[in-house]
Amino acid sequence: MAKILLVEDNEMNRDMLSRRLQRKGFEVAMATDGREGVAMAQAAPYDLILMDMSLPEIDGWEATRQLRAAPATQRVPIIALTAHAMAGDRDKALEAGCDDYDTKPIELERLLGKIQTLLDRNHQA
Amino acid sequence: MKRAATRRAKRPAAPRQPGREKGEMARRLAALLRLSVELGAAPDVTAICRSVVMGLHEGLGYDFLGLFLVDDASGDRVLMASVGWPDAPPDFRLPPGRGLSELPLQNGALHYTARVAGLVRYVPTPNHGSEVDVPVVVDGRTIGVLVVESSLADAFDQDDFEILTAAANQAALALARVRLLDAERRRADEHEALLATMADLSAELELSKLLQATLQRAVTLLGVTGGELAIFDEDRQELEVVASHSIGRDSTGTRLKLGEGAMGRVAQTHEPLLIPEYAEWLGRSGQYADLTVHSVMVAPLLVGSRLVGAIAAVHADPARKFGPADLRLLNMFAPQAAVAIARARLLETERRRADEQRALLATMADLSGELELSKLLQAILERATSLLGVSGGELAILDEASQELVVVASLNIGTDSTGTRMRLGEGAMGRVAQTHQPLIIPSYGEWDGRSPQYSGAISFAVMAAPLLIGTRLVGAMATVHADPTRHFGPDDLRRLNIFAPQAAVAIENARLYTAAQRQKQYFEDLVLNNPVAIVVLDREHRIVSCNPAFETLFGYPQREAMGRDLDDLISTESTRAEAVGYTQHVLEQGPVHGMGRRRRRDGSLVDVEILGVPVVVDGELVGLMGLYHDITELLKARQDAEAANRAKSQFLAHMSHELRTPLNAIIGYSEMVEEEVADIGHQELAPDLQKIRSAGRHLLALINDILDLSKIEAGKLELYVEAFDVRQVVDEVTSTVRPLVEKNANRLELRCAGDLGTMRSDLVKVRQALLNLLSNASKFTDHGTITLTADRERNGDGHEWMVFTVADSGIGMTPEQMAKLFQAFAQADASTARRFGGTGLGLAITRRFCQMMGGDVMVASEPGKGSTFTVRLPAALEE
Repeated sequence: MAKILLVEDNEMNRDMLSRRLQRKGFEVAMATDGREGVAMAQAAPYDLILMDMSLPEIDGWEATRQLRAAPATQRVPIIALTAHAMAGDRDKALEAGCDDYDTKPIELERLLGKIQTLLDRNHQA
Repeated sequence: MKRAATRRAKRPAAPRQPGREKGEMARRLAALLRLSVELGAAPDVTAICRSVVMGLHEGLGYDFLGLFLVDDASGDRVLMASVGWPDAPPDFRLPPGRGLSELPLQNGALHYTARVAGLVRYVPTPNHGSEVDVPVVVDGRTIGVLVVESSLADAFDQDDFEILTAAANQAALALARVRLLDAERRRADEHEALLATMADLSAELELSKLLQATLQRAVTLLGVTGGELAIFDEDRQELEVVASHSIGRDSTGTRLKLGEGAMGRVAQTHEPLLIPEYAEWLGRSGQYADLTVHSVMVAPLLVGSRLVGAIAAVHADPARKFGPADLRLLNMFAPQAAVAIARARLLETERRRADEQRALLATMADLSGELELSKLLQAILERATSLLGVSGGELAILDEASQELVVVASLNIGTDSTGTRMRLGEGAMGRVAQTHQPLIIPSYGEWDGRSPQYSGAISFAVMAAPLLIGTRLVGAMATVHADPTRHFGPDDLRRLNIFAPQAAVAIENARLYTAAQRQKQYFEDLVLNNPVAIVVLDREHRIVSCNPAFETLFGYPQREAMGRDLDDLISTESTRAEAVGYTQHVLEQGPVHGMGRRRRRDGSLVDVEILGVPVVVDGELVGLMGLYHDITELLKARQDAEAANRAKSQFLAHMSHELRTPLNAIIGYSEMVEEEVADIGHQELAPDLQKIRSAGRHLLALINDILDLSKIEAGKLELYVEAFDVRQVVDEVTSTVRPLVEKNANRLELRCAGDLGTMRSDLVKVRQALLNLLSNASKFTDHGTITLTADRERNGDGHEWMVFTVADSGIGMTPEQMAKLFQAFAQADASTARRFGGTGLGLAITRRFCQMMGGDVMVASEPGKGSTFTVRLPAALEE
């Protein structure tokens, strides 16, 4: 079963998304800010990271850059979760090293599709 | 002369020997008589002089003779003819103070010098003979000297003196006559010269004076006691006595019909007439019954065969009778008098014309000085009445709006008619205004066309003329004679015809000037009362004038601002370059519009909107006009408005963000619970949960659209231009929208050109625009077809466009609905939102997106038949 790290500061969003992913069979670990997210990702391996972009301590873009800079986390698929579909946010996320992005509120089916695509790609690689 | 005498020996003076016979006496008388006849026939001065010396030489045997005439200008005696001096130099003359021949000039008496030897006066060489110097006297004045010499001393006696005196007198008479005729000829020539050159029309050459002088000369020439001169009035076929001289009373002004009296008779017959005794003459005129005249001689005055008048000479002395010699003299005089009179009349006519021209010139001169309409009109009328010699008149101008004549000036017509209005065709002026032809009315009171508005006016004869410029009517003028005996004739009409066009032009000029003045005043007031500061500069940037608003805005009174460099006056150090730049730009390139900060007199600064325009007069750049509008308040208001708008946008962005977070939770949890209730077998709760989720999603869409719109309106939404494959976008959009399309059992048709290529634009906005249109179409169509077409188009200027259309077979719209379609929150009606869902912002956003991308969206629709939306976007958007 794939292990997903969800980095999200909003408690309700974190609770809701984690529970829904778990119900779909994923193992979900949670971090509440960017710094914690980076630390957790480096401490243990995850198959995929869902990264909120507006986070306390360090934001999602910075956290992604740090993960990409570290060898251990260099190749972990990261999906950026942004509040609203702004061209700037999307590009900034991809620029920082995210593999894909999705907008909140989450449409679970769409997000699951993106997660599956990335997991499949990594498995093939 | 003396020299000649010394060179040539004279023959002995045989006839003058003492004791001469009776036969000798008779011979002398016969010679004198012959001389008299010859002199009578001599046509000019030279011939007379010649006849005198030749007659005395050949008839009476004098060997050396000379006739001198005094040259009035120099006083010299000029030798006119001589005998015994064949080699006399031409124009031989003796100046005053020289020669014995001067002696008779000094006392008018014959002078005899028995021995000339040794006398100083004897010119030029000594001679031992004798000399007689005989004066030639006309009207008591010595005009010449007859000189007779002999080489012998004491050669002359009393008989010689008598005969020489008689000859000199005959010569004097002949000379006087010829001189008179010469003078006449000369006068005629002078007239001719005058006519030819028109040298000085103001010279004293009045006809009446000339006529009087002519008659005077005739009387003198003919040696009569009196006379009359009449000229022929061709219009009335009458003679009018114009000069009268000593006939017992002044007959000037007497009119004679053709055939009446002596002058009437010759005017009819064109033949001269001798009447020995007027009182016994059957043809005499009753108008002369009171006069005592006896012998009368009359001649017609003819120029060619045209009669110009008649001249009569009378003797008051019953003993004097006219003879053929008198008639011959009169016949000689008459043609010249006729020509002189004819020419003088012509001259008079010409001069009258010149006077009229001068009067007109004076009118024109008035024009340049007097452009105030009312004064000019009065001046014109006064000039016209004096020029035409009428008692009064009036002037009317055409009121173009009402097509009526309005009397604007009135002079001596018995009533002040100023302000009277007349229809075209009414009264004399109305008539001429209608016909454009002048009109003479001999008696206004009896005229059928008279206007009732003039019942109070005293006028008998009226002459009216239209005032025309070309064929355009400006007004009309009327002149009147209050004297019932005065009439208007062709001459008056001619003068009026000369005057009227000038008056018309003058009036028109004054009207134009008045209009221009009014306009000038209007513009001056406009500038004066304008709340915008206006300043006029010359080409050197110096202030020429400024309005009160300028004084108020910048604090400089006009007198202080005048002549100063504007940019020195009101720019600051930091804005000086910009200010000078504006000024230069206006002068060199044209109008300028800008904003800037300027300095007041007290040093405070003011924000102004600046408008500069060149001032061009008659095609020449003379300076510029600057308009300064104080926009301090405006700028502040704008800043306030911008701040308020920013605050609104920030508030909206903030609010929507804050709303979205709990909304995400609502949507998310309701979805989650929906899944869970299925798992735990409480399927009956699913519909309620779906409602919660659906309402939440709608609220979210609404919030997102509001956010988009507010960002667009705040100018905060930016374009992100990139190249993308059009076909890919179309496929993406159709697959996204397909579930929505199928929800209402609709069919989606895609019609795309084979190769749509790539597009450079904002991908997200293109996609959202198409999605909005497709989802709209889906909502408003049931069991129908939605067609998306995409094509590439190249228009005239070579730019490529992408054209997308979304057509549906749905409910369609009325024109009224279409009009509000793209406004925010304007679904066709309020119930639509409830029935079809949607935020009502989709099309407003779509349109704004399309416009941001350089294109637009348009709609065509018909109720019940469906709608077609067309999006046109540049294929390659310039960033």
